[in-house]
Amino acid sequence: MAINVTKLEMTLQQFVANASNVQGAALVSPDGLTLASSLPGGMDEERVAAMSAAMLSLGERIGRELNRGDIARILVEGEQGYGILTSCTEEAVFLILADHNAKLGVINLEIKNVIGELRKQLLGLAQPVGL
Amino acid sequence: MEIMRIVVTGPVGAGKSSFIRTISEIEAVDTDRKATDETAALKTKTTVAMDFGRLQFGQNVALHLYGTPGQERFDFMWDILIRKAHAFVLLVSSHRPQDFRSARRILAFMRHRAKIPMLIGLSHADNPAAWPMEEIMLALGYLSPHNRPPTVPVNALETTSVANALAALIEAYARDQMAELNRLNKDALI
Repeated sequence: MAINVTKLEMTLQQFVANASNVQGAALVSPDGLTLASSLPGGMDEERVAAMSAAMLSLGERIGRELNRGDIARILVEGEQGYGILTSCTEEAVFLILADHNAKLGVINLEIKNVIGELRKQLLGLAQPVGL
Repeated sequence: MEIMRIVVTGPVGAGKSSFIRTISEIEAVDTDRKATDETAALKTKTTVAMDFGRLQFGQNVALHLYGTPGQERFDFMWDILIRKAHAFVLLVSSHRPQDFRSARRILAFMRHRAKIPMLIGLSHADNPAAWPMEEIMLALGYLSPHNRPPTVPVNALETTSVANALAALIEAYARDQMAELNRLNKDALI
């Protein structure tokens, strides 16, 4: 089944709107191209995608060379909040931006849930909607 | 031990990763990912963060080689890498005139951020479709034959060729340091 980009975008938008403290989310390819995104205004999705890919590839390299195994998550914690990268499928990486009030445990759960949904859509496992 | 940081940059497919892989004494660190953009027509994998290689040069100098991604969307990596560099190499494929504009943009980007010695390496110079050096220099914006950076043909897959290019760059760096030293001396005398 073909990937429904509109649906992906909608899933991201709903996630950003409903999950507390989440400010933005993007799904990017490992070579740094945007697949779908819902980002705060003024943030260039092309740049965000490229940065996510660069960060993830360095993280994975650290995982390999310093014997940390496969990378499940990369977390950047700043004064203004968090940037969390999670691998979604082999062809997609999931980035979320959350503010500094976010509770990491909740955010992790939220990410897990939405990734399950995104994965279904990306791998074409989603049930076609019957009319 | 002194460390000299050299950045290897240039458009997609110019041979930056090969350049570093060819000369590095350690197994080069790469961050290759499957290409899904227009790069895919040229090669299957592309650098998304950086390449890293190391080379001992003489007794007390170690060269650290950093390769940049070629695509402009990774220009934040260009910025990160060039800021700490002592010198840089711009690799340009001689047989891909469509890349000259991108090479020129990278050149302007680097020049703007770092006033450091540089070298232009012309890869694929043996390709039948390769442009002559003089015309590539014009395309890169070097209209006058004076004040051009040193330019050498480079085969990124051949150790001697890469070593020669690095030697030429280090020579340019040494010249630059000497000029700086002379200038400081002159200032001190006045």
